[in-house]
Amino acid sequence: MRLFLSGNEAIAFGLIEAGARFIVGYPGTPSSEVIPMAIEIKKKFGIRGYFDWSVNEKVAFEEATAASYAHIGSAVVMKQVGLNVAMDPFMNTAMTGAPSGLVVVVADDPGPHSSQTEQDSRFLAFFAKIPVLEPSTPKEAYEFSKRALHLSRDFEIPVMIRSTTRVSHSREDIEIGEIGGLEVNPHFVKDVDRFAATPHFRLILHKKLNEKIGRIKNLDWFSDFEKYFEGEILIVTSGVSFAYLYDIVKDNNLEDKIKLLRIRMPYPLDVEKLKGVIDKAGCKRVLVIEEGYPVLEMQLKTVMPSIDGRLSGLVSNEGELTIDKIGEILSKAGILNRKSCDFVAPPFKRPSLCPGCGHRSAFFVIKQVFRNSAIYTGDIGCYTLGLNLGAVDTVHCMGASVSFAFGFDKVFSLFGKSDQVVVATIGDSTFFHSGITALIDAVHNNSKLILVILDNSTVAMTGNQTTPANEYSQTGEKTKPIEIERVVEALGVEFLRVRDAYDIDGMIEDLKSAKDFVLNSKSPAVLIFRHPCVYSGEGLKNNVRFKDVYIDKELCTGCKVCVKQFECPSLIFDENKEKVFIDVVTCIKCGQCVKSCPFDAIKVEQ
Amino acid sequence: MKLVILGVGGMGAISLSKIIAQMSTTKGLSIRSSEIHGMAKKGGLVEVQMKIGEGKSGVVLQKSANFVLVLDEAYLGYGEAFLKDNRVGLIVLTNEDKRWVIDNLGDVRFSSALVLGRFVKYQDLFAKDDAIKALKEFKFFEKNTIAFERGLA
Ligand code: SF4
Ligand code: SF4
Repeated sequence: MRLFLSGNEAIAFGLIEAGARFIVGYPGTPSSEVIPMAIEIKKKFGIRGYFDWSVNEKVAFEEATAASYAHIGSAVVMKQVGLNVAMDPFMNTAMTGAPSGLVVVVADDPGPHSSQTEQDSRFLAFFAKIPVLEPSTPKEAYEFSKRALHLSRDFEIPVMIRSTTRVSHSREDIEIGEIGGLEVNPHFVKDVDRFAATPHFRLILHKKLNEKIGRIKNLDWFSDFEKYFEGEILIVTSGVSFAYLYDIVKDNNLEDKIKLLRIRMPYPLDVEKLKGVIDKAGCKRVLVIEEGYPVLEMQLKTVMPSIDGRLSGLVSNEGELTIDKIGEILSKAGILNRKSCDFVAPPFKRPSLCPGCGHRSAFFVIKQVFRNSAIYTGDIGCYTLGLNLGAVDTVHCMGASVSFAFGFDKVFSLFGKSDQVVVATIGDSTFFHSGITALIDAVHNNSKLILVILDNSTVAMTGNQTTPANEYSQTGEKTKPIEIERVVEALGVEFLRVRDAYDIDGMIEDLKSAKDFVLNSKSPAVLIFRHPCVYSGEGLKNNVRFKDVYIDKELCTGCKVCVKQFECPSLIFDENKEKVFIDVVTCIKCGQCVKSCPFDAIKVEQ
Repeated sequence: MKLVILGVGGMGAISLSKIIAQMSTTKGLSIRSSEIHGMAKKGGLVEVQMKIGEGKSGVVLQKSANFVLVLDEAYLGYGEAFLKDNRVGLIVLTNEDKRWVIDNLGDVRFSSALVLGRFVKYQDLFAKDDAIKALKEFKFFEKNTIAFERGLA
């Protein structure tokens, strides 16, 4: 079967073909497509297995670890910041091992394109002492995933597949092998010295881990170096940088100038063996070009101090290593004769919440009520773009809106400024992921923050995945929906209001009451502003839709209040006519902008 | 062959790349693509670079593409930067085309099939039948074919 697959989809195929029957994770760009594809494969090939989203990466990691303990081939999928959330079980599973195999799929986001950090997960594999494989193309993502699960099973050690945006989001035609026909027999062999190890036994486990990694270090295939071309300058490389370098050599006929040495497994790396190969090649210069941190370079530098790369300043220490940048590096090193870089950048368009998004109405109202007097702590998701409406002052990591609001409120209250209002905004999925724990702290420790939960019943930012509040899971199975209001109530929150985010007057009233409440009490106020995501098919179909929404040109003064304060991308200012018009291609005729015009120039037709 | 497809979210740039990929696989040609769609959902650029029958990565450098398919006039200048020979191989979906698609087929998404028609017309690796065969593998075959024929005309 030959399929045109993205790197992420290819990983799902590779894992399932190799026998993974338990794959969980949490959505995050660029990793989000692995689990939906696993679910599709399950349906298409009628295999049995559990493939679904978990509430967060830590929980996902633990679930997958247990599945591996129970002798089911498992995998856990996340983006790089997700691994930070899962760090605790990640380190521990490295110690106890994964009896039936556990592949940790992590997609890094150099650039970063849609992340808060630009970290290199290979470093965390190094840190946890587990092997990491680094595919350079979707085809390799498929092959390496199979290898990873087998290696993991053979050595009972978690194995990382490190992808990057360009591998995850590239596509390639791939010949897929046979899927199905797997005997699965879940059983758990109790061994408290291993699975419930006390510190004394942890020391023994650590020793075993060191032994495993020592053996894997010079395993065939994994520790083999791929060699290409016969030039005088040797470049040690891995991952997507290898694919770029290969193409540059071919396109520029550099076969007699460059020699490539490609590493499949950046950790554990047999540096002595690598040094031997490099010495034998007798090249006059050695460069290391890799995407991310100098993981190969730092290891190799211990035995070959004269190598060139990030540590010597040849390669930049931040930003994505694009094919253009690699071209520049080769020019700088005098290998490639490249005309000065005249890269044309695409016109910049500020990202914005979708036309008709309920979050926009909520932010508009929040800003109308609190103006510039409040501190606005935001969170990770579509609603980070509340930035554009001036209603987000901080964005940090998942769930931090609530804990940041707590921190701000505490210090202001403590030092005589207790009338400072702090408004946190968080999405439904992020609230489940890590907002709940912070809210517990806020209730328990008398914080008078205002928390607005923007509930659109989906993980919208990353492609509308399901959340625990949904009645059906991603697989289409009936689940028990978790009601956010009941969670909030159960925590002891005394002020709770639930409102449709399209009800502008209602939200104004709620926020004013919330303000009165927090200024006269010592406990948090929680508001749930709910409106289905209009980007989802269901959401759009059921959304309010006027016959027409238009601007009365007579009434419009061209003040741009709507464009600036409401910020719907379908409201466009016509520089020539000095009036606003509505872009009919993108407008969904929701009528939410009407209230933003002080001159009543935005009209709706029923 | 190196080609680049530029569009905005929801315009069908990704589906277009999948149709072209289908055409290539049927012909036994290797196909690689690289998608850039960070905040595409938020109205930003969707960029798909493709290599047919060559390369290891799907990435296409500026000044090296044989064809650039631009689905949104805002990206015309950016699209030109990818062309190997100035102005040869630039295929543009005009606002007029879009209007025609919306008026006749009801959804702007079918524009991508119109662009496919134009692409097939201007090169000789793929013939009309290759495209029709590939379109059959995708949803809305009839409407896509109407748009495709319009592009081919
Ligand atoms: S529609 Fe109203 S708010 Fe927008 S520019 Fe015109 S007068 Fe100002
Ligand atoms: S009706 Fe107004 S708010 Fe709704 S999508 Fe159209 S312009 Fe935007």
